[in-house]
Amino acid sequence: MSVNTRTNNITASDVQVGDTLPEFSLPITARLVVSAAIATQDFQDVHHDKAAAQAKGTPDIFMNILSTNGFVGRYLTDWAGPSSRIKNIKFNLGAPNYPGDTMVVTGEITELNEEGENTIAKIEFRGKNGMGNHVSGSALLQLGAAS
Amino acid sequence: MSDNVSVAIKEKVAHLLNRRVGPYNSWNPVSRTQVWQWCTAMGDNNPLYLDDEYRQDTEFDDVTAPPTMMQMWSMRDAQGNYAPGSTDKNPYELLSVLEDNGYAGIMAVSYDQTFHRYLQEGERVHHYTTLVNMTDLKTTGMGKGFFVTEFAEFLTEDEEKFAEAVITYFQYETPKKQPGAKKPGSDIQKITRVHPVENYDNAHFWQGLRDGKLLIQKCDSCATLRHPPQPMCSECQSLNWSTIEASGKGSIYTYTVMHYPEIPPFDYPNAIALIELEEGVRIATQLTDIKPNDIKIGMDVEMVLTEVQDDMTLPLFGPIGSASAAKKKQEQQS
Amino acid sequence: MSISRKTAIVGIGATEFSKDSGRTEMQLACEAVKAALDDAGLKGSDIDGMATFSMDNSWENEVLRQVGGKELKFFSRTEFGGGAACGPFVHAATAISSGLCETVVIYRALNERSGLRFGSGQLFNNNPMDPNIINFSHYFPYGFMTPAAWIAFSARRYMHEFGATSEDFGRVAVSMRDFAATNPKAFFYQRPITLEEHQASRMIADPLRLYDCCQESDGAVAFVVTSAERAKDLANTPALIASARQSIVKDSRMMTPFYGESISGIPEFDACAGEIYSMAGLSPDDIDMACLYDHFSPWVLPQLEAFGFCDRGEAKDFVKDGHISRGGKLPVNTHGGQLGEAYIHGMNGIAEAVRQIRGTSVNQAGDVNRVLITAGAGVPTGAAILEKA
Repeated sequence: MSVNTRTNNITASDVQVGDTLPEFSLPITARLVVSAAIATQDFQDVHHDKAAAQAKGTPDIFMNILSTNGFVGRYLTDWAGPSSRIKNIKFNLGAPNYPGDTMVVTGEITELNEEGENTIAKIEFRGKNGMGNHVSGSALLQLGAAS
Repeated sequence: MSDNVSVAIKEKVAHLLNRRVGPYNSWNPVSRTQVWQWCTAMGDNNPLYLDDEYRQDTEFDDVTAPPTMMQMWSMRDAQGNYAPGSTDKNPYELLSVLEDNGYAGIMAVSYDQTFHRYLQEGERVHHYTTLVNMTDLKTTGMGKGFFVTEFAEFLTEDEEKFAEAVITYFQYETPKKQPGAKKPGSDIQKITRVHPVENYDNAHFWQGLRDGKLLIQKCDSCATLRHPPQPMCSECQSLNWSTIEASGKGSIYTYTVMHYPEIPPFDYPNAIALIELEEGVRIATQLTDIKPNDIKIGMDVEMVLTEVQDDMTLPLFGPIGSASAAKKKQEQQS
Repeated sequence: MSISRKTAIVGIGATEFSKDSGRTEMQLACEAVKAALDDAGLKGSDIDGMATFSMDNSWENEVLRQVGGKELKFFSRTEFGGGAACGPFVHAATAISSGLCETVVIYRALNERSGLRFGSGQLFNNNPMDPNIINFSHYFPYGFMTPAAWIAFSARRYMHEFGATSEDFGRVAVSMRDFAATNPKAFFYQRPITLEEHQASRMIADPLRLYDCCQESDGAVAFVVTSAERAKDLANTPALIASARQSIVKDSRMMTPFYGESISGIPEFDACAGEIYSMAGLSPDDIDMACLYDHFSPWVLPQLEAFGFCDRGEAKDFVKDGHISRGGKLPVNTHGGQLGEAYIHGMNGIAEAVRQIRGTSVNQAGDVNRVLITAGAGVPTGAAILEKA
């Protein structure tokens, strides 16, 4: 899980449109769902109480949206490194992330645009689990400058 | 009928649209503890956020919050309360009205967030929210309901907008199920590709793929090739047949690129082609290693025999060169 | 013995068309059959035959009992999804002309929207005895599992061979939606589209866009067919079955006709068109309007060619010149088609053909004497000509 992000620094000269980002595989556990829900200050019972979740017709607790958002952010900067800056993230939500499943996130650079001195990469990403797309969307990421 | 429902409900909630409500304050200033709690939960090791040494060379002086934390600062606490100084107005009154009218289910369907700048330790934030749009009654896989769009503005103490988001919800009527209809699933099922169903006529074809060969039926009497498999030769009615191993070379006779609906577990867009094999029969398959815009009728392709999941090998096709590339990749992995 | 003009459609009935009927297919079937009997001025006890689709889930005995019937001497089913839309009329005409029975009810009821949607890619089981499954086994493992994608193979070839474009398919959709816009029973009542909107609609299975695809629907349609003799004593203008035929050719497949010499046309219609006209003693010039099977807009084009309204590859120009549209020389699908009214496996189109002959369509195309009808394309199928008595 630990990526040595300290030395990562993807700059405009490292990439071109059509490049794919490394695949990121996230095993979903109850601990992950609960700790992320609490960290995002989401206390709804379906994200920590299995019995309550089942009473609402879902098989188990499931990941809340803000956590998905957090993992997407992490996916982007794990790849681009700490000198990148996230400008925009948009996504559609699909199949829930339940404990026991694994979400595999993939991404591709679909645009590279100059904005002043900076290069903004448009990344299209999707996170698939065993039931289909959990999340799919795109992000605008300002790449770090060449050092 | 739907239209009448739409009109009646929309009239009822019209005054709740385009009403900016807030502020909703944060319980705490941006703090190292909460950033740490977020980063450890997400497994996010980005040194920008918590590594004071790394940050010396950046534009930030203090602990910096992941921008995706935007929304959590001014959310309700574990007791369900907004922070002191927040408005007591229900930001989602419109959704409550829909709920009272039988549309009790809610799910967020999309998020579109723009981050103007990152927050640093000690900053206090608040947000305002405006429900900006509600559609007519729509029918989706979840049932009938309304898409409602929220515009949220996230502000610092001096009213600087550091982030904003457009969030769309689907507020729906849990569909009336026929008596005896299947209850919502209580087990989680991993979705895999459906298996071909094998019988006396076609089993050789699927077994051939498992053995690493693309087999084409050949009539023992008149030597006519045929695919898909069938027991009797269309040309001479012989029931005797054997197989030849196809070279795996061919060209694209026609194709489609599937976009919607996205059926798990497939990746989309999903390029499908009808390949005319050099032996003269056609076979439908998935294309690999090619961008949709590069697909052309008539282009030469070759088979890339691929283990698409643990128990299934399929004869995918790709541009010339993809078979050797796939082989090289496999050798590197093993 | 020819079946030509020996029988007539004397009653039509339908439920509303919706996305969620809220009742069983059995109830829909009974409602539509009762409505068709009422329309004909007949009673359940007048029925002695029934014909429907193999895919229909409502059994003949159950329907018969509920609509007040007593006994059936004849019942038959036709395979191949929407390809079955004409078969039941062939069977009814044959059974009545040969004296097997006198009055046949034809019905099709489906909750195809709220129940199992064919477009969802879920038509699969593990039964090695099911010919559908053996056929689809060669496609489903690749995710090649929706009707739109299967049709796209042929549409792409049609574009390649004849220079047709997505806009040519779009003009078919625009024309159907124009008719639907003035049909209060249509899904898309008062919702016409422009060619620009068609071109902007989302890609489903390239080259098919959203507006090239029919609206999956819940609903039922039923008909009463009886002898031409008896039809004379009934209230409605009879729609004589001037000709009717089913069609399978050697390259026919279930939705996946990918292996014939050419896959850009519809060989089943090429094969039967001549006899559809000769049985009725008619030619394409005698046809006033047509109700063509339009699950997907691209396949309206080769139907126009197969039935001789224009030459091979020229349907795009025929459509562009407005001939199939409102006021054209061969209006097609004046109810809005399956693209605009509803997808009831083609049976709603046949009901429209009967209304045109009676002169009661909401989009009446003048004085209509003869209508060509077709069943599904891309599957074993059939066609017929209805004629004003």
